[in-house]
Amino acid sequence: MKPQDLLALRETFDRNAILMSFNGPFSATLIEEIGLALRRHLEALEAAPSSITDVFAIYIELTQNIRHYTSRNAVPDVHTGATLVISHRADGRYEVCAGNVVQYADGEALLARVEALAGLDKAALKAAYKAQLRAPIEPDAASGAGLGLIDIARRASQPPAAFLQRMDPALGFFSLQVVI
Amino acid sequence: MNELNIIATNSTPMIRTDGASGTLQLAGDSYPEHAFEFFAPLLAWVKQHLAQTDAPLRLELALLYLNTSSVRILMDILDQAEEAFQAGRDVSLTWRYDSDNERVAELAEEFREDCSFPFTIEACETR
Repeated sequence: MKPQDLLALRETFDRNAILMSFNGPFSATLIEEIGLALRRHLEALEAAPSSITDVFAIYIELTQNIRHYTSRNAVPDVHTGATLVISHRADGRYEVCAGNVVQYADGEALLARVEALAGLDKAALKAAYKAQLRAPIEPDAASGAGLGLIDIARRASQPPAAFLQRMDPALGFFSLQVVI
Repeated sequence: MNELNIIATNSTPMIRTDGASGTLQLAGDSYPEHAFEFFAPLLAWVKQHLAQTDAPLRLELALLYLNTSSVRILMDILDQAEEAFQAGRDVSLTWRYDSDNERVAELAEEFREDCSFPFTIEACETR
């Protein structure tokens, strides 16, 4: 990166009140290390213990979902990285955004799931969570992210927003924005 | 019976069993990427304890955060405990949590909804 571009990057970070970010391939160890740093950072900001748990839980479910997805060789190796941004917004809320490259059809299935969850209130989300908890695990399900997505929606203060951008005929970039 | 004595890590809980008293202790965070692999020895212990002994089952939990795959495993264990209780076994559970973190109490409460054996959720003051 050219040194003169660093200021623009910094301004992007400042404008979005970004606390932490990561871009690239994830390992299980890296997920753990970043997670611990995130927790300590939130503790230092004196966030409420319940907020720390929710931000941490959403971070873990999102990154582990991405790991499980990429470990199925669904996308070429060069696309197995993830982009993660955690911010503390001006309204005081925390926000976790994560994105990764997916097969476009998988992305569409995920979009549909997120949209279906957005229509559910807290009680319906809880019922969906309990039903999914006892549902048999389908290792090759299109999204592979059933329970995790419901858990994320339950912890969020507003329905998570999903976005799918086409990259080429087969692939898309799926991103999810979760406000705690 | 093979007793378990597994030390906690950042992402996995402490696990301790004592077949004679039927005690199973779990404490700490649990978010291993491959929860089923990690908990396989524990699931085997519970299965064997219930199948091969008449001893009580005392679950002593001080779990904090569980990822969804760990929640699935714990639910599986509690379902087995419930079944044993229905069949007449002495089963009980105590879940201790730091009164500062209400998320842990909510998590424990959701498990309790599906259990009819004695299930105590106990707040501990840390400050």
